[in-house]
Amino acid sequence: MMNVKNCLLGILLSVLTATSLAASNLIGQAAPDFALKSSAGDNLRLSEYRGDVVMINFWATWCGPCRQEMPLLDELYSRYQRVGFSLLGVNIDDDSAKAMNMVSELGVSFPVLFDARKEVSKLYSVDAMPVTVLVDREGNVRYVHQGYKPGYEEKYLDEIRSLLRE
Amino acid sequence: MARRIFIGLGISLILTLGTISSAQEATPADNSMGASMASQAADAESRAGFRSLDKDVQDLKKEVLDLNRDLFLLEEELLFPANSQVAFFISMDVGEYFELDSVNLKIDGKEVANYLYTEREVGALLRGGVHRVHMANLKTGDHELIAIFTGKGPHTRDYRRGATMSFNKGIGAKYLELEITDRVKKQQPEFVIKEWE
Repeated sequence: MMNVKNCLLGILLSVLTATSLAASNLIGQAAPDFALKSSAGDNLRLSEYRGDVVMINFWATWCGPCRQEMPLLDELYSRYQRVGFSLLGVNIDDDSAKAMNMVSELGVSFPVLFDARKEVSKLYSVDAMPVTVLVDREGNVRYVHQGYKPGYEEKYLDEIRSLLRE
Repeated sequence: MARRIFIGLGISLILTLGTISSAQEATPADNSMGASMASQAADAESRAGFRSLDKDVQDLKKEVLDLNRDLFLLEEELLFPANSQVAFFISMDVGEYFELDSVNLKIDGKEVANYLYTEREVGALLRGGVHRVHMANLKTGDHELIAIFTGKGPHTRDYRRGATMSFNKGIGAKYLELEITDRVKKQQPEFVIKEWE
């Protein structure tokens, strides 16, 4: 009986380990494709950006560091947009109106997508806020950053520049 | 007599020394030639080795790709056996009165697909493309399909329309096409569900 219990516990632990590994294992894998409604009203699909370096930034209105980070990301977007860099801000709030208010308040120009059903954030195993994913021209996930601390933008800059050079 | 012997010894000594010195002169040249030939042979061998290794890697890659394809086909056959397979396609004709945004499919009251169309995808549909929006396995018998189309209708107003169809799933595979057409008389879009024969 004890053996069976231990065995089950082992299986459960291995399953849990496997699922937690899935989030970190995203690096080097093809970025899961998705389509979401954007703040401009049109639908945007990640696979249509193949050939560009794409940054996917998951954010929420209740997240303080996101508010800090978004204007900095917008600067990167404005600077590198014309050389093949795209930025998709994925908002995970239930109420997209709140997100729209924050976008207009911060004055960011990159496309903001609404993931009210949390399907995309599940797809990318988002378990922190913000989460920033960098996808290369081939459509593979190359860098994943969880959270934001001042100075991260320097890292983003280096990574974007190296991916654009490839 | 002794003089002759001395002369003979002297000549033989000179000849022997000459032979030795010439032999000593020839040895480094011969050695270097031999070494270069040996290194060339080693180079050629290593190149051939690399070539065969490269070929092996290429063969292995090909085998992996073949295996991947076979696995994909096997997986599809197992997950979607041809007999119970039902596929749903979206097509558009003209599309002046309707700008497609999304399609939501429900089979027997259960949501199975919710697809958002981008501008490019709508363009492809308008140019005659057909999109397989969902593939499922259904058991034989009667089923109900509800398709909800959202987008912009006439005068760019938000538009949401549903189309329902009951269909019977027999033994073979079944293909259903959800067609969006324009009804010019009413100046409205029309949503038709057709069964492929």
